Amino acid sequence: MSFWQKMEQIDRRWIYLAVAVAVVVPFLFPTPLPISISPEARSLYDAVEALPDGCNVMVVYDYYPATVAECEPIAVAALHHLFRKNCKVVTLTNIPYGGPSMAERVTRRMAARYGKTYGVDYVNLGFKYGYVTVLAGMGQSIESIFPTDNSGTPLSQLPLMDSVKNYSDVSFIFEVADNATADYWVSIVNAQYGVPIGCGGTAVQAPKFYAYVASGQFVGLLGGMRGAAEYEKLIGIEDVATVGMQAQSMVHLLIIGLVVLGNIGYFVVRKQSKKGAA
Amino acid sequence: MSGWEIFQLWLVAFLTLALFSFMYRDNPIYKAVEHIFAGLTVGYQIGLIWNSIILQQVWSFVLEGKGWRLIPAFFGLLMLTRLSSKLSWLSRTSLAFVMGTTAGIFLISELHGRVLPQMQDTMVPLNGGDGFGATLLSVVVVVGTLSTLVYFYFSKEHRGALGVTAKVGIWFIMIAFGAHFGYTVMGRVSLLIGRVQFLIEDWIGSFL
Repeated sequence: MSFWQKMEQIDRRWIYLAVAVAVVVPFLFPTPLPISISPEARSLYDAVEALPDGCNVMVVYDYYPATVAECEPIAVAALHHLFRKNCKVVTLTNIPYGGPSMAERVTRRMAARYGKTYGVDYVNLGFKYGYVTVLAGMGQSIESIFPTDNSGTPLSQLPLMDSVKNYSDVSFIFEVADNATADYWVSIVNAQYGVPIGCGGTAVQAPKFYAYVASGQFVGLLGGMRGAAEYEKLIGIEDVATVGMQAQSMVHLLIIGLVVLGNIGYFVVRKQSKKGAA
Repeated sequence: MSGWEIFQLWLVAFLTLALFSFMYRDNPIYKAVEHIFAGLTVGYQIGLIWNSIILQQVWSFVLEGKGWRLIPAFFGLLMLTRLSSKLSWLSRTSLAFVMGTTAGIFLISELHGRVLPQMQDTMVPLNGGDGFGATLLSVVVVVGTLSTLVYFYFSKEHRGALGVTAKVGIWFIMIAFGAHFGYTVMGRVSLLIGRVQFLIEDWIGSFL
């Protein structure tokens, strides 16, 4: 049996092991790699940067716990930027599983870092079932959809919500999504109410979202961990995404190598079997 | 770190490693954790529906004297009649309401929010004045859109000019699939990195 035939029958667990090594090694021996900024990330950063200080912004945590590794760094980077600009942040989620607790945990952690006060500088509205109704209804009145915040406090008792009645009081929406809810923010909120939306999505979602960037329905896009790393670079912070990108690059190199090897092996084995048959 | 937090940390690490153990081979620990996950999901869903729909959307309003909230709740309950072959016809009223409102909402939002803006974005000027690169991109957008649409036109056999255009369409579709696959690989690797980051920095880091 030739080398290439052996390679074709290699136990897939060796590949899992190689991937594991490629992921672990960069954490043990960090080697910073350059991160280039895509035009989509740059335009999102510029749009946030152009917001007037102290304006009202919505940050939407539309992702499940399974994609925290990709989406949370985006949400964290967005909050760094928004709190730094003293924007008033209203958060919510359309995801029942873990959405409210992730929104609460991440926003409170970041708010504490920037010395922000709950109810004055930020509010977490939490979750409400039926995202189409929620998104459409907030255009008329946020309070009719969310009579209370995530902790059950009536919105009338939160000073920030005096100035945020519906979308006309919101200057920008930062949607972090791993699913189709982002489509509804485009088709309902952006199209019908004209609120500019910037999106951070999982890498799986990114190719679809590029169409919204091209049509101007998203002002910019952050695709997965790479997008988060780009935004971290733009705001001058090295966080989990920047560190994670080293492992990402190593695994990508490994996968490219395996794809090349696999193709060479396929053609060599095919040639050998043709020779054998002759 | 409190004892409870340490317990949580070790529990999460154990569950992560138990799920990863499937990569070596299927085993009882993996199966047990998989079943725990399925059970938790169902339990969480029941609690969430009870709290955010039945208590918040119906019961709290009824207590405030808004008894009309029981009407949509009644129509919601009619959906459960599908469990009985004799009474299942009653659910059609609720289904008709859901289908009607959904069609009404989505017809406008999809057309106005997605179909028209996306169509408009493909109608790009080929000599926009932003240089050769912009013109080339516009050509790619126009040719890609038209040839892909032709590929999905099945009322005539793909021969001659139609066949060539459809073939160009396949190439665009394949390139799109490649981009999707590349991004999917990146996404899945990111998820693995997230777990490894947790295991190295949070879990192992807690006792080193």
